[in-house]
Amino acid sequence: MKNYPIWKSFTVISLVLLGIIFAIPSIIYDENSENWFLKNKINLGLDLQGGSYLLLEVQLDVLYKEELDNFVDSVRLISRDQAVKIEKIDIQENEVVVFFGNKEKIKDIRDSFFQMYRGVTLQTNNNKLIIKLNDEYRKIIQDSAVKQSLEIVRKRIDESGTKEPLIQRSGKKRILLQLPGVKDPERIKDLLGKTAKLTFHIVDNENTSALQNNLAPFGKIIVPDMYDENTKYLLDKRAVVGGENLVDAKGSFDQTEGHAVSFRFDTEGAQKFGKVTTNNIGKNLAVVLDGVVITAPRISSAITGGSGIITGNFNAQEASDLAVLLRAGALPAPLEIVEERSVGAGLGADSIAAGQIAAIIGMVLVCIFMILIYGIFGALANVSLIVNLFIIISLLGTIGATLTLPGIAGIVLTIGMAVDANVLIFERIKEESLKQTKVFQIVKNGFDRAMSTILDANITTLIAAVLLFAFGSGPIRGFSITLSLGVIASMFTALMLTNFLVYMYLSFANKKELKL
Amino acid sequence: MFGLNKIIPVEPNINFLGLRRKFLIFSILAMIISIVLLSIKGLNLGIDFKGGTLIEVSTKNTSIGELREILSSSYSDVSLQEFGNENIILIRLQNKSNQESIETINSVKNLIQDKVVEFRRSEFVGPTISSELLLRGFQAVSFALIAILIYIWLRFEWQFGFGAVVALTHDVLFTLGLLSILNVEFSLATIAAILTIAGYSINDTVVIFDRVRENLRKYKKLELVDLFNLSVNNTLSRTIMTSLTTLLALVSLFIFGGEVIRPFALTMIIGVIIGTYSSVFIAVPTLLIFKFRPQDEDD
Repeated sequence: MKNYPIWKSFTVISLVLLGIIFAIPSIIYDENSENWFLKNKINLGLDLQGGSYLLLEVQLDVLYKEELDNFVDSVRLISRDQAVKIEKIDIQENEVVVFFGNKEKIKDIRDSFFQMYRGVTLQTNNNKLIIKLNDEYRKIIQDSAVKQSLEIVRKRIDESGTKEPLIQRSGKKRILLQLPGVKDPERIKDLLGKTAKLTFHIVDNENTSALQNNLAPFGKIIVPDMYDENTKYLLDKRAVVGGENLVDAKGSFDQTEGHAVSFRFDTEGAQKFGKVTTNNIGKNLAVVLDGVVITAPRISSAITGGSGIITGNFNAQEASDLAVLLRAGALPAPLEIVEERSVGAGLGADSIAAGQIAAIIGMVLVCIFMILIYGIFGALANVSLIVNLFIIISLLGTIGATLTLPGIAGIVLTIGMAVDANVLIFERIKEESLKQTKVFQIVKNGFDRAMSTILDANITTLIAAVLLFAFGSGPIRGFSITLSLGVIASMFTALMLTNFLVYMYLSFANKKELKL
Repeated sequence: MFGLNKIIPVEPNINFLGLRRKFLIFSILAMIISIVLLSIKGLNLGIDFKGGTLIEVSTKNTSIGELREILSSSYSDVSLQEFGNENIILIRLQNKSNQESIETINSVKNLIQDKVVEFRRSEFVGPTISSELLLRGFQAVSFALIAILIYIWLRFEWQFGFGAVVALTHDVLFTLGLLSILNVEFSLATIAAILTIAGYSINDTVVIFDRVRENLRKYKKLELVDLFNLSVNNTLSRTIMTSLTTLLALVSLFIFGGEVIRPFALTMIIGVIIGTYSSVFIAVPTLLIFKFRPQDEDD
C-alpha cells in the first residue's frame, strides 16, 4: 500500500467499527432492555409508536376579564367605605372606567385601590377613575396562569396513568403534550377540557324576583343546573369554601345515592365548612363545578368532620374522573385544544414496516445501479453506502434523537443522495485517468479535486436542513435530523472510507493502469 | 473496471447552451402557467394549513358508501376517501371553530364506532395553528433561499449567487405549479420536500458552477458560451448519475413507503427532475447576462 499512512487506516477502521457497534442496540431493538449499551437505541416518534400530541392554549382573555370584574367589585367596596356614590361603571376590553357622584374623595379611592392592586395603571380625570390592565400586569397574570396550568395538567396526566408523558410550555401561552402509547385520547382530552373549579355556595331561596327577571343583585350570581339548563339557582357570589381546600377526593359507591365522589377538606376548609353548615341549617348548599350546579342539597345538620360526598347522575368512570380532577386541582383558566395529532399503534407499525421495505429496496436498487455503472469501484462505493446507513442509525441512537415517519423518508432519500460524493470522486478519477498514467497519482488527484465540490454541495443541503429544523415542528424535525446526519456521514464515508477502500483495492490487485 | 459508465462519453460535447433560448421560453411559460394556476386554482391545502379534522379508520365489511351515508346526515362538509386500500378510509371535516372541532372527533367516532375495526389516526388543527404553520413554512422557505444565496455569494462571485437564486425560484414555482395541476395535498411534509428540493437543486448547480469557476481560470481565452458548455459537459455524467440514484431511492419510497409518505415522495420526484433540469438550462445560461471574467488572477 503506497503512501497510505497507518494512522489514517486506523482512524477509518475504528470509526467504521464504532458506527457498526453503536447501531446494534437500534437494530436489535429490545424495548425493555435495562442494559446500558442496549439502551442507546433510537427513540420512536409518536407517529411510529402510536400516541397523542396535544397543543393546549390557556384562555387568558377569561382571566383578564375576571380581573376587570375583581376591579369593579373592589372599587364598589372602597367607595362604599368612603361613602361616595358611583354613577356609572364602564367595563371595556382593557380597562374599567368608574364615574363617581363627586370628585372630592377620588384621590383617596385611587390610593386605596392602588394598595390592593399594585402595578395597574390608574388615571383620574375630574370625577372619572380609569383602571387599566397594562402589558406588564397582563404578563404577570399570563405567566402565573401558564405556570399553574402546567402544574395542574401534569398532575392530571400523571393521575390518568400515562407512561412517560412530555409536558412543556410552548411559546407564551401554550402547553405542549406528548403522550406515547395513549389508546383513548378522548378521555385525556376530557380530563384536560375541564377547568374543574369547585366551589360551595349558599343558595338564596328568598329573593324569587331576581330569578324571574334573570338579574342578579350585587353580591349574588345566577347559576344553571348541570343537567337542566332551565333550572336556575340564585347563589351568594362569595364561595363558602372551594376546591383549593380539598386534600383528597375519591370515586365512591353508595347504595342509595349511586356513584358519587367523596372528599375531605384540610383543617382550614373543615373549619369554614363546619361554621357555615352550623349557621345555615335549613338552607341549601350548592356544589358548583365550572359554572354549573351539580347538586344543591338542604343542610340538615352541621357538618364538622370536614368530609362529605358529592352526588349527581354519575356513572363509575365519571365519578372517578371527577375525583381525579378534584385531586389535581382547578385550572386558573380554561384550556383550549388548538391542535391534536393522535396515531394508533396499528398505523405506527405499518409505517415502520413500509419504511423498512422502501429503504431496503431503494438500497438494493442503488447498489445494483452503482455496480452496473462503476463495476468494482461501484461495489466499493456500496460498502461505503452500507456503512453510511449504520453510522446514521448509531448516531440517531447515541444522541437520543427521535425517529419519525418523515425521518425514515430522510434516510431513504439519503441512500440516494449519499452516493453523490462517490460519484463526484469517480468522475474526477475518470477525467484524471485521461491525463496521466500513474495509478496512485490519478486517485490522489481525483479525491483532492472532488473535495471542495463535495463540501460546497453538501453545505447547501445542510443549510436547508438546519432551517427546516428551526422552523419545523415534531415529525418534520425528524426529517431534518436524519437528512443532516446522512449528509455529514456521507461526506465522511466518501472522503475517508471510499478513499481507504480504493487504495486497498489498488494495492492488493496491484493495478498498473486505471480506466474507470 | 467493467462499468457501463462508458455509455456516457468521457468528454461529451453536447451544445446545451445552444438550446438555451428554447428552454428559456419553455421555463418562462411554465412559470407563468404556475403563477396563474396558483392564483386561480391554488394548492390543495391539507389540514396543516387549512385547519380541520382528519380521521383515518380501518373497516371490515363496511363500504365507504355506508360510512358516507352515516356521516353526511350529521355533517354537510364531510369528505371520505379510500386510502391505499378499500379497508382504510380517510375522513375529512372542515370546521369553523376549534371547540366545535375537537368535539367533532369524538362525535364522529361515536357515530361509526361499530363499523370500525381501528381508529388509526385522528388529527385536528385549529385555525390559529394552521395560519401559524403556513407563516412558518413560508418563512422557512424564504430564509433558506436567502441563506443559500449568502453562502453562494461568499463562496463564489455574486453573479453565481444570482444565477442560483433564479434557478431556485424557478424550481419552487414550477414544482408548486405541478402540485396544483396534480392536486397533490400540500402539507407540512410538502414544505420539507420543497426545502430539500432547494438544497438538492442548489447542490447540482454548485457542482456545475464549481467547474465553471475552475474553467474560467483554466481557459482564459475561451468564449463564455463555449466555456459554459464545456463545464456542463464535464459534469454531465455526474449530474445524470446522482439524479438517477436519488430518483431510484425516491421511487422506492413512493411505491413502498406507505400512503402517508406518498405525497412527499411524489413532490420530491418532481422537484429532483426540475432541479436537475434547471441547473443545466436555467442556472448556467443566467450567467451569460454578466460579461464577467474572474477578477482574481492569482493562480
